[in-house]
Amino acid sequence: MKKYFTKSCLAITVLLLLSSTLAMAQFTVSGTVTNAEGEAVIGCTVLIKNTARGTVTDLDGQYSLELPSDSATLVFSSIGMESVEQVVNTETGTLDLQLAESNNRLEEVVVSGLATSVKRANLANSVASISAKELTGIAPAPTTDGAFYGKFKGVVVNSNSGAPGGGMSVKLRGVTSVFGNAQPLYIVDGVYVNNSSVSAGLNSVSAASRGGNQSNQDNPSNRIADIDPGDIETIEILKGASAAAIYGSRAAAGVVIITTKRGKSGETKVNLSQSIGVTSQLRKLGIREWDAQEVEDAFGEDDRALFEQGTTNFEDELYGNKGILSDTRLSVTGGNEKTSFYAGASRKDDEGIVKNTGYEKTSVRLNIGHKLTDWLKLDATSNYIHSSADRGFFNNDNSGTTMGVAFVFTPQWAQLLPDANGNYPNNPYSSSNFLQTRDLITNNEKVNRIITGATATARLFSNDKQSLQLKLRGGLDNYTLRTTAIFPRALQFYQSEDSDQGHSIQGTTNSTQTNLSAFLVHSFFAPRGLSFRTQLGVTAENFDLNTILVDANNLTAQETNIDLAASQASTQNRVIQKDRGFFVQEEINFQDKIIATVGLRADKSSNNGEVNKLFYYPKASLAANLHEFGFLGNGEMISSLKLRAAFGQSGNFARFGDKYTSFEGGFTINGRGTMPIGTLLGNPDVTPERQTEIEFGTDIGLLNGKILLDATYYIKSVNDLLLREGLPSSSGYTIRVSNAAELQNRGVELGISVNPINNANLKWSSKTSFWLNRSEITRLDIPAFNLGAFGAGLGIFRIEEGKSATQIVGTCGDCEGFTPDADGLVVHGDAEPDFQMSFLNNINFLRHFDLAFLFHWKQGGDNINLSKLLSDFGQTSPDYEETNLDPSNEMVNGDYRINAFSSGNPAVFVEDASYVRLREISLFYTLPRSLLGGIGKVRVGFSGNNLLNFFSYNSYDPEVSNFGGNGLSTGVEVTPFPTSKRWNFHISAEF
Amino acid sequence: MKNIKYLIQFLFITSLLFGFSSCELEELEDPNGASVELQENPTILDLKTLVAGTEHLLRDEVGFWYEAVGIIGRECYRFTSSDPRYTSDLLGKGEATLDNNTFYTTRTFTGRYRTVRNTNILITAVNNISATTGITEEEKNGFLGFAKTIQAYELLIVSQHQGDCGIRFDVANVDNLGPFLGSEQALQSISGLLDEAVGHLDNAGSEFIFGLAEGFVGFDSPATFKQFNRAIAARVAAYQGDFSKVLNLLGSTFLDETGGQEVGPALFYGSAGTDLTNPLTYVPNDANALLAHPSYVTDLEEGDTRSSKVAERESVYELDDLSSGWDVALYFSQTAGIPIIKNAELILLKAEASTQTGDVGGATAAINAIRTANGLGEYGGGTSTDELINEILKQRRYSLFMEGHRWIDMRRYNKLNELPIDRAGDDVFNSFPRPLTENEPCG
Repeated sequence: MKKYFTKSCLAITVLLLLSSTLAMAQFTVSGTVTNAEGEAVIGCTVLIKNTARGTVTDLDGQYSLELPSDSATLVFSSIGMESVEQVVNTETGTLDLQLAESNNRLEEVVVSGLATSVKRANLANSVASISAKELTGIAPAPTTDGAFYGKFKGVVVNSNSGAPGGGMSVKLRGVTSVFGNAQPLYIVDGVYVNNSSVSAGLNSVSAASRGGNQSNQDNPSNRIADIDPGDIETIEILKGASAAAIYGSRAAAGVVIITTKRGKSGETKVNLSQSIGVTSQLRKLGIREWDAQEVEDAFGEDDRALFEQGTTNFEDELYGNKGILSDTRLSVTGGNEKTSFYAGASRKDDEGIVKNTGYEKTSVRLNIGHKLTDWLKLDATSNYIHSSADRGFFNNDNSGTTMGVAFVFTPQWAQLLPDANGNYPNNPYSSSNFLQTRDLITNNEKVNRIITGATATARLFSNDKQSLQLKLRGGLDNYTLRTTAIFPRALQFYQSEDSDQGHSIQGTTNSTQTNLSAFLVHSFFAPRGLSFRTQLGVTAENFDLNTILVDANNLTAQETNIDLAASQASTQNRVIQKDRGFFVQEEINFQDKIIATVGLRADKSSNNGEVNKLFYYPKASLAANLHEFGFLGNGEMISSLKLRAAFGQSGNFARFGDKYTSFEGGFTINGRGTMPIGTLLGNPDVTPERQTEIEFGTDIGLLNGKILLDATYYIKSVNDLLLREGLPSSSGYTIRVSNAAELQNRGVELGISVNPINNANLKWSSKTSFWLNRSEITRLDIPAFNLGAFGAGLGIFRIEEGKSATQIVGTCGDCEGFTPDADGLVVHGDAEPDFQMSFLNNINFLRHFDLAFLFHWKQGGDNINLSKLLSDFGQTSPDYEETNLDPSNEMVNGDYRINAFSSGNPAVFVEDASYVRLREISLFYTLPRSLLGGIGKVRVGFSGNNLLNFFSYNSYDPEVSNFGGNGLSTGVEVTPFPTSKRWNFHISAEF
Repeated sequence: MKNIKYLIQFLFITSLLFGFSSCELEELEDPNGASVELQENPTILDLKTLVAGTEHLLRDEVGFWYEAVGIIGRECYRFTSSDPRYTSDLLGKGEATLDNNTFYTTRTFTGRYRTVRNTNILITAVNNISATTGITEEEKNGFLGFAKTIQAYELLIVSQHQGDCGIRFDVANVDNLGPFLGSEQALQSISGLLDEAVGHLDNAGSEFIFGLAEGFVGFDSPATFKQFNRAIAARVAAYQGDFSKVLNLLGSTFLDETGGQEVGPALFYGSAGTDLTNPLTYVPNDANALLAHPSYVTDLEEGDTRSSKVAERESVYELDDLSSGWDVALYFSQTAGIPIIKNAELILLKAEASTQTGDVGGATAAINAIRTANGLGEYGGGTSTDELINEILKQRRYSLFMEGHRWIDMRRYNKLNELPIDRAGDDVFNSFPRPLTENEPCG
């Protein structure tokens, strides 16, 4: 490796030394660049085509450029504007230009290397990217990942529940790992940002996974929720290895690159906005209808008497809180020629649809750019976040204590409301009175987080033919998460002395991530429009996560301090990882006609069996802009036509700890510390999962770019998939992690953007996207196995060679009409959607009105819905007495489902989770400038999230996951926190 | 001037790049647990902590063993709404058979072999410990005597669990596990391992340098731990049918015909948050219950004080066409120990071995020691071998109730068909299947 660097550096040195200046004819061109409204365009790049020489416009939109030869072509480009090329010669003198706002996206700039970007027209991948306008401009989502829905082709976003504060999974182009990390890598302004979900230890109370305090059914939020979507300028999603190869071993699940807002030179602008809104349950299920005789038959005389005294609609009581939403935001941007800044502060305070739940977040950001000299520039970003989420207590349990489970076991004549003294009656139908639980428990996540990064960009050298740039970048993401779960003794289930008598579970997680990198970028412009760009760099990333959880029970009276509990147990979990890597990349551009890229990333990591072994991830891509060859005519019909192909590899590390054989901690015997051997046999040969992706596609512009079409087909294979292999337990171990399988995803992504109307009184742009994915386990070295749900009798995922990675299987009872396999299993469904579509429209009418809406259609994809079975056991299912499930129309739904459970045929629990939603809609009115004396801009409007929902799924929402966001499991439902819809009123002022 | 500026920049960059690329990563140790690699170069404290870990693992999953033996041996029922397999699979209801990949098969098996692994790590560590730690040969022998005795005991349980299928005896090498030995060969190897342990204990001086939990009070020196070792060896000899060897071995145990019936080492349970509690304790009258098989009460002789091992429920509990009005009430506290081997068993081994070697006097004396200690009169039955053995099996049933014996005793005397069948079609299984994960089906 050293040798390689030495050679590259030598080459660069030679280039540096060879550089010479030749005398040439010189002339100057100057002028002003304005936009359609006649305002100065600041920071517009003016470049001599096919060279590295150029300038940018100043605060007044003015530029002046010295040209070395008799004539040249100048390229004017600015983000969000159509680029313009103009031929100039010694006669030109002054050239003023008006740039039109871009309505096609081919000119926008997309990240293509760790230190470089490329305009979309020259890109060989389908990189999904959206701007602030699309991300939060319609109807702001509560969290950043929550704003992704339907906006990116190939991206499947799933909310785990409706609990305030997030909890999402984002899957890019299908399942990429079974036990490893399946969530994308998030990079914010060059800083590697932690997105872990840390369990609050609720299992001690819920017993969802039986013993211990750890489970993956706690529904924690994921930490990307901390990033304020309002600060974001653009998001790019690299969906697979062909685009993400340069991110190496962490990129197999894709990369989400977030760039936050920057200051612009010019007048200081202040933007103040306030939104206020309300949230309510997305779908109410209603309650079962009873008459007195039915109550007596089912529950007995005493219950009949209670029923006749009166009933309570507990769905409204528990989920009927009209939560107030508030979001206040202040941002200031500005700067001069040397320094620019963006300062933003926001305060969010959302209530949930369950009382005592909610999400508060305060975020402060300062981004500064400063030019020290004409060749050295510094950019620094910093963000402080404080958030607090009260998430309630839902999902699966084995103790009847979660509000969700207790609710479905409680008929409407139960007496649960507190008396005048605030004492809650015990709930005879379950182990807990969920109203008491709601009012007395705490389940809070509090985060203090600092994300900060700095980049120094130095132009070491430049002349007509070449330039050399150095970028140094450092980033830090540090947070402290405090989880507080308090279940006081007063709760129904902790009153008995045989019980745990209260729990106070307090966790602290400290996470520190740092990344450092250095890159050299060399551009070389050869004659005849051939240019080369070479980059090489080294990277280092360190991760350190430390969780200490203290679980105290047997609380003294009303105290929650763990000192005062009669019994405490503590656990610590540390995750430490160090990665080092380097990469090289070469881009060759021939007159924008053919653009070829090759690159190589190499990584080593302390997570691998051999820590200093380098793993190499190559990439290569080719784009051909056929319209640049000139044989498509004058371009009016077909204005652009690009063919592209890309190949790349990326990796996914083994989980931390998979290589270690260690003793189990946490046990004593008779007061002595112990070393009992753990059940995991470390695999010192464990290597990263390796993903290979090939994608092909075309981008077509028609009618002068009024219509843009794009189509992409990809094949992505994950080799060396890490699985947990069962060992002969006579070894004393039961599991070893080994690279034992291969899976393949194939998919299609199609898009069409049209701008059919574009005049002063009506502008309409519309974007329709379509995508689908299919997966298959193509190799499996160990026997097929089930995972990700509760058992074959209730429906479960199964990894099996030749089958879809997301198939849902189960037993089949008497198996009439089924052909079970050797293990007695049949396929009941598949979590993978048949396809997804989205339909985004922006309409500007009467100059001042903006209407935007986004429909999102997910077709197919199955869930395992067990909420209904539980409410059947409690005899509370609203559809208990309907008869639309039994094909023979004999059994009512409730009996049918219970019978399906006892006979071991889970077909009825595997439900189609299709939906069509109006994800976002908004209508804004911008006050005419004349009204405000031309000094500012005021907008008012309404927006809504998930206002219209169409689905036949038999519960609150087909979007749900009892087992959280990571791993294979998705769409398993056990009495979750129901999702909600949101209405907001907005007002914003800029001056 | 300008060139100098570039040169400085260039030197800066190249040094930076080298700084990065020369950054070798160091192997991280597992921050969440001590690495097994400590066996390569342990400290004395490591050895002591391995002893405590081994004692801890003796308790791992052990509740499943006692319950499974109790259920198949028709000593108890386990009623719970959360798992029907306790009343179907384990009792052979209808067509049900034992599953080779379910908790009742795998958990006992895994728990025992984890202890075996821990003892193998301890043995490796003792063999690797550096003399610079100051450890003496006697002290090392103490550790080895402990490790091999415990290993033999755990292998004995697995061999009884697996019956004729046999077990892997040599599992020291994870990557190359030894072959399955038939049940007779396995018992012979276990017996050999116990003898090997005695060789170490005889050369271990007068004290162990490690402490043992309170369950081993009175058996925590090389000499007294050897008595425990010999007691297990006597049990093995009885399982082998070598009764003169049983008599021989009993002489080196803590057998005391007039002593306390319950004397003997026991599994320790504690109330500390990080300790384990007795897995066989259940809330009386609860729906989640460990019930005595009704025959325990109906077969009880008048006056037998061992009636206190069960407690009458408020009402008869019926589930899955089974019913019992009695809870198992062996352990009144969550910190009560579970006997590993006790004086009552040694007395009854004496009775059994005397019977089998024709010493009727010795046999009846031993039987009477048990009977009188439990409030019964002297034995008045016949003195043929069969009659005496039946009496001994009965006394074992009551004295060793729910301690992992009834099913094994009936099996070694080919009397499983004499166990009560509660429902038509129920079966009494001969052994547990070999776990699926062994990748080598039995037979």
